[in-house]
Amino acid sequence: MSALEDQFVAEARELIRQATDNLIALERDGLSPERIDSVFRAFHTLKGSAGVVELPAMSIVLHAAEDLLDSVRHRTLGAGAEIVDAALTCLDQVSRWVDNFEAAGALPSRAGEDSRVMAQRLRSLLPRRSGERPAASVPDFPNEASQGVLPEWVSQLIAAERDEITSRMQEGPMAVTAISYEPFAGCFFNGDDPVHLMRQMPGLLAFQIEPREPFLPLADIDPYACNLRLRSISIGNRDEIAALFRLVLDQTQIISVPSEALTAAEMHVGSGSQSLICKVIEAQCELLRVPDRADELAGCIGAAARVAENALRHGQRLDLADIVGRAGTLALAQQDAGPLLSALERALAAFASPASTTAVNGGSQAASERPADRMLRVSEAKIEALVNLAGELVVARNALSYSVRQVERNLDGGEVARSIQRDRDAIDRLVTELHGSVLQLRMVPVAQLFGSFPRLVRDVARQLDKKVALVTSGETTEVDKTIMDRLFEPMVHLVRNALDHGIEDPGQRRAAGKSEAARISIAASRSGDRLLVEVTDDGRGIDPAVVRRKAFERQILPPDELAALTDEAAVDLVFSAGFSTASIVSDISGRGFGMDVVRTAIEQIGGRVSLESKVGIGTTVRLDLPMTIAMSRIMVVEAGGQSFGIAMEAVSETVRVPPERVSTIKNNDGFVLRDRVVPIVSLAELMKLPGRKRDAAEPRLLVVMEAAGRIAAFEIDAVRDRLDVVLKPMQGLLSGARGYAGTTLLGDGQVLLVLDVKEILP
Amino acid sequence: MTIRRSVEGIVVLDGVCAVEEAESLLQMLQATPGAIIDWTQCRQLHTAVLQVIMASGGSPMGPCGDVWVEQWLAPKLPQKGTAR
Repeated sequence: MSALEDQFVAEARELIRQATDNLIALERDGLSPERIDSVFRAFHTLKGSAGVVELPAMSIVLHAAEDLLDSVRHRTLGAGAEIVDAALTCLDQVSRWVDNFEAAGALPSRAGEDSRVMAQRLRSLLPRRSGERPAASVPDFPNEASQGVLPEWVSQLIAAERDEITSRMQEGPMAVTAISYEPFAGCFFNGDDPVHLMRQMPGLLAFQIEPREPFLPLADIDPYACNLRLRSISIGNRDEIAALFRLVLDQTQIISVPSEALTAAEMHVGSGSQSLICKVIEAQCELLRVPDRADELAGCIGAAARVAENALRHGQRLDLADIVGRAGTLALAQQDAGPLLSALERALAAFASPASTTAVNGGSQAASERPADRMLRVSEAKIEALVNLAGELVVARNALSYSVRQVERNLDGGEVARSIQRDRDAIDRLVTELHGSVLQLRMVPVAQLFGSFPRLVRDVARQLDKKVALVTSGETTEVDKTIMDRLFEPMVHLVRNALDHGIEDPGQRRAAGKSEAARISIAASRSGDRLLVEVTDDGRGIDPAVVRRKAFERQILPPDELAALTDEAAVDLVFSAGFSTASIVSDISGRGFGMDVVRTAIEQIGGRVSLESKVGIGTTVRLDLPMTIAMSRIMVVEAGGQSFGIAMEAVSETVRVPPERVSTIKNNDGFVLRDRVVPIVSLAELMKLPGRKRDAAEPRLLVVMEAAGRIAAFEIDAVRDRLDVVLKPMQGLLSGARGYAGTTLLGDGQVLLVLDVKEILP
Repeated sequence: MTIRRSVEGIVVLDGVCAVEEAESLLQMLQATPGAIIDWTQCRQLHTAVLQVIMASGGSPMGPCGDVWVEQWLAPKLPQKGTAR
C-alpha cells in the first residue's frame, strides 16, 4: 500500500470512531448543533478521502449519509433512533470496507451492489416535500413510454409479474425501468455472469429468465453456450441501469416505464423478501432442532449458520447477520446447537418486528467532550522494533553482570572489578529507564478499549428491550497495547453477559423495586504495577444455590465437595470449563455463558479474574492484569545439571527443609508448611534428568509454587539468579512443546528454558 | 470442488458455484438423469450452472442457499417432484 493509502486507512478509522461516539452522544443527550456538525464533518471528510483513494462505492454510501445528516443539521429531519441506526450501519459498512481495503488493497466485488442498496436505504429516510421526487429517480432521458412506444415484451412482463410488482412497489412517484438482456452465446468465455449483473440491480421489482431457444436434451447440450434471455423491471432511472450494464449495452434493451403503467399498491418494498428471509431462518431452526444427529451436528450447525447469515445479509440486517455468524462459530466450538438456535430465534424476532424504539440512556463520560489529543502516528512495527532492541539491551546488561562476577572471582575483588561494577550500575540504571520509556510508547489509554462499549451496550440493549445506562471511568489509565488488544474479547463477553443474563427486564426491575434503567459500569484503575478493570451490573446477581445445583447436574464436583464450598467459592464455579452450556444459560439466574473462556483468556496474559455477586443487587467481575507483558521476572534454578527459569509470579517462597520434616506418603514426599501439606516433586526427575546423589542429612532446597489453585514444591539443587527477561515464545520445531512458557538468553549466551509452572504442576 | 455427489446419489452444490462447475454438473446429470439436486448449501450460483439446472428441467430440493436465486428464480422453476 502506498503511504497515501496507509494514511487513509488510519484516518478513516479515527473518523469512524469519532462519528460513532458523536452519534451515540447525540442520541443520548439530544440534538446539539456542535455534535451534529462534528458528525457531519466526519462523514464529509471520510467521503472526501474515499474519493482520493478512488473507492467510489464508499463515496456513494457516504454521500447519501451526508445528505441525510445535512437534513438533520438543517432541522428538516429529527435525529431519531432510526436515523442514528442508519448512520451507524453505514459506518459499520464503511469500517468493514476499510478493513478489506487494508487487507486486499480493494473493496470486495459486491461492494458496488451493497453500496447502491445502502445508499438507497439512506435516501429513503430523507424527508420529501410534496411533489418532489426522490433524488435518485429524476429521469434524465426522454420517456419513451410517453411517446407511446412501450414495447410489447415490457407490457407482457408487467402483466405476467403484476402481483410481484405491486407487492414490491413503494408509494409515491418513482422512475421505473425495464431491461431485456440477451447475452451472447459466448458470453461466459468473456467472463460475463448475466445473472450476477441482474443481482446488482437495486430495487428489483420483477425478474424473468428463460431459454431463447428451447433447451436441447441434456446429452446434447453445451454448458458453455449461453441460451438465456433475462428480463427485469426495477426502480431506478434509465441512466442508473445503463451504467450497470455499460459493458453489455449492445446486448440489452433498456426502456423507461411510466409508473402509471404499473399498478401501484401501498406495500413496503422488500416485504416479500422479508417473509422469505424469515422462512429461511425458521427452516434452519427446524433443522437444528432435529435430535439424534450428533454425528452430523457440526455440518448442520455450519450450514445453518451460513444460510441464515447470508439471508440476513441479503435482508440488509448486517448486525443480525454478524450476531448469527458469531453464534455459529461458538456453537461449532461447543458442539452444541444451543447458542446458534437462540441467536436465530432472537434474529427472527428482531427481524420480524422492526427495530424497537427503546431509548438507551447509555452514556460514557468518554472522549467526546475532551478536545482531541495531539498525537504523533507511529506504526506498530516501528515500536515493536524499538521494544525488541531495548529487550536485547537488557540481555546485554545481564551479560555484563555475568562478566562482573567472572572478574570478581578471578581477580579476587580487584580495582578493575569495582570499576566495572560502577559502570554496570550506571548501564543498569540507563537500561531500565530506556526500557521503561520504550514500553511507555506502547502504553495506550484504556479509553480506546472502552470506546466500543457504548455502541455495543446500545445495540444489545435495544435488541433485548432493556434500558441500560453505561458508565465508564478511569479511561485515562494506560496499559500496554498488547494487553489491551487481548482484553477486548473477554470484555465483550463480560458486558454481553451482564446485559443478557445479569440485567432483568424493565418489568422485573420495577417489581423488584429497582429503577427501570439498569446500570453497567466499567471502571479501570491502577494498583501498583497492575491494572484493575471492573465490570459491574446492578442486575439480579448470581444465586449460589442455583450454581450448586447446576454444578451438581454437570458433575463439575462431587456432591460432598460441593456441599463444603463457601458461597463465594460456589459462585466461582461459573468459571469452570463445562459449566456453561446453552441449556443452562436460559434458566440460571445470572451468568455462566463462556465464563471459562474469559478466565482462560485473562490468565493467558498473566491476569486473574474474580467475581463477586449479591443476589438481587448485582455482580462485579474484577480483572487484575499486568500493565505489560513484555518483561517477566524469573528465578533461575538448577536441577539435574541444567538451568531452568521459573516465573517469579508463581513462586511463593524458597525454603530449606531438614530431612526430618519431610514425610513420605505412599510414594510421594511432602512436608507441612504453615498448616498446609505441600507435595515435593524433584524437578530433575520431572525433567527426566539424572538426579544428584544427596546426603541423607542434607537439608533439601525447595521452591514452593502456587498456580491455578494448586500448590507444590520443586526440589532443586541451587538458586542461581533473579532476572528481568524478555520472554520469547517457543518457536519452530519447539513451538508445540508443552510445559515451557518460552526461552530467554542468559548472560553467558546460554539459552534458558522457562517453565510453564501451571502446566507442569502436578 | 463445490459440486459433488453424496453417498445417497444426490448432487450437492456447495459454496460458490463458479462457471467452470457447469460442466461437472452437466456430466453428473448426464450420468444419472433425474438425479436430485441439493442446492441448500450453495452461496452463489453462476449463470452457466443455473442454465444447466434449468435445462435439466427439474427443480432442486430445498430452499436455495443463494438467497437471490431463491427469491427471484426458484419460484419460476417447474414445481418440485417433476424432475425427469
